[in-house]
Amino acid sequence: MNSLLTSAVAGLSAGGAYAILGVCAIFTYRLVAVVNFTGAAIGATGTFVMVALYESGVPLALAVPVGIVAGALAALAVGLVMATWFSGAAASTKAAVTAALLVGIIAVGLRLTGGQHPHNFPDLIPGSAFRLAGVEVTWAAVVTIAISVLFTFITEQFLARTQTGLELRALSQRPMAAELIGIRVKLLALSVWAVMGAVTAFALMVIAPQRAPDFMSLSLLVVPALAAALIGAFASFRAALAGGMAIGIIEGLASGLDTFSQYRGAIPFLVILAVLMWSQRGARFDEAR
Amino acid sequence: MTELTIKQLVVARGGIPVVRGIDLTVRSGEISVVLGSNGAGKTTSLEGISGIIPAKGAILLDGEDISGQAAGIRARRGLRHVEQGRTVFPEMTTEENLKVALAPGASLDEAYGLFPELVQRRDIKSAMLSGGEQQMLVIARALVGRPKVILIDEMSSGLAPVIVSRLMEAVRKLADGGMAVLLVEQFANLALGVGNRAYVLRRGAVVYNGGCEALLKDPARLHHLYLGDVADSVAMHA
Ligand SMILES: Nc1ncnc2c1ncn2[C@@H]1O[C@H](COP(=O)(O)OP(=O)(O)OP(=O)(O)O)[C@@H](O)[C@H]1O
Ligand SMILES: [Mg+2]
Repeated sequence: MNSLLTSAVAGLSAGGAYAILGVCAIFTYRLVAVVNFTGAAIGATGTFVMVALYESGVPLALAVPVGIVAGALAALAVGLVMATWFSGAAASTKAAVTAALLVGIIAVGLRLTGGQHPHNFPDLIPGSAFRLAGVEVTWAAVVTIAISVLFTFITEQFLARTQTGLELRALSQRPMAAELIGIRVKLLALSVWAVMGAVTAFALMVIAPQRAPDFMSLSLLVVPALAAALIGAFASFRAALAGGMAIGIIEGLASGLDTFSQYRGAIPFLVILAVLMWSQRGARFDEAR
Repeated sequence: MTELTIKQLVVARGGIPVVRGIDLTVRSGEISVVLGSNGAGKTTSLEGISGIIPAKGAILLDGEDISGQAAGIRARRGLRHVEQGRTVFPEMTTEENLKVALAPGASLDEAYGLFPELVQRRDIKSAMLSGGEQQMLVIARALVGRPKVILIDEMSSGLAPVIVSRLMEAVRKLADGGMAVLLVEQFANLALGVGNRAYVLRRGAVVYNGGCEALLKDPARLHHLYLGDVADSVAMHA
């Protein structure tokens, strides 16, 4: 029992990462109506810019902000493609476009970062915050969880209380009507992308040292991210937050059990499958009637 | 004093021109009514004018051709298109729908002054409003943007006659307040009753351009304008 708890706590750090990525996925979906497969790859781009600078002797205090800006710019580039050529496209088309972009970004990213070649990832937030069930809970885990809670809270408040928030909601509900009342639709959409890119880049910088830190592995964190977003039905920031944490904890638990530990990478997939089947339940029930 | 002049507007749908070189004018203080049967090209014309779909021809707002500009820029220049189908922001309340469209210096009272019915519905999600209330809301939402020209598409469709009269009266007030109104309608009489100039579209071309009153007094002519070729072909086959 105690060792299970230990494994669960060990999953917190991954859970924090999935939560922030899941929240960002919902952020993008709700505000610019794109199921975005490139989220983690955009964050990885910013992270590797930071690492490249760091490895060539640039101090972290400069490398980190430049990496965050690089993440924002990478997101802006993807956003520009989406807003310019696919703003009127169906949701499935847009998702397919980002999936294709993901493949492209990974290919270029792997080439530029030297494939699996090990990099010297700095621990941005080093050390252990406290011990829980005999496990060190790192500051990195605490900070990622805090970022996702904070980002959720700030986004919710911003949407509810500010004029720009109101415009963003209008844009997400009826883009054409929003444009016709003079809202600066493209500018808003691109800002959403840029914010998402900056937040994801920072989050990935924090967690990279604890993951297999090659470009592809970081980019593929999009899978648990979308699983978390799916738990939030691509609508609820809070559910995605909780869902991301839960996936991390389940992964931790699985790695504590010898038989399952080899397969823990499949957990986001199982979660996606379970949520989708659950969501179809109502539809099948209706059909049966 | 504002004037919107449309010259030789051509708008295609799926490669086929469905608006084929129309001329229209609307001035501040006036309502220009655009009539025509289903599929005549009324909505397509408005979408070409507001920039939702690309169009050829000149769109002169106070003498300046805005036809090369994106829809958002035309909107910020003072054009408002109230689309067919009551395009409220459904998850937002009545008041949020108005606030999001508020021009600097404008106030919500302008909207509630035009449609006092909306006051007691201010905190209701707009998806929950009745059809008539939603129509009022989208017109009020355009109003608080303080536009120079407002294009309104089929505001009466599916609404009870009392509500339609109420809306017509409100649109007349907008014009009397100095706005230029282009009012697209399928049901002619009420619109002709409040309008100044009338245009009848048939198969993407203007087949009547003149006063509203003349048309109102001559129902037989209106009928023929609407159904001209159908009426002719029916006569031929008889
Ligand atoms: N998306 C589309 N693709 C192809 N053709 C279209 C499309 N929308 C409309 N059309 C065609 O364009 C023509 C004009 O349609 P439009 O909607 O402008 O007519 P309307 O006068 O507004 O009619 P209604 O009174 O029914 O609203 C019609 O023949 C219609 O079939
Ligand atoms: Mg129409």
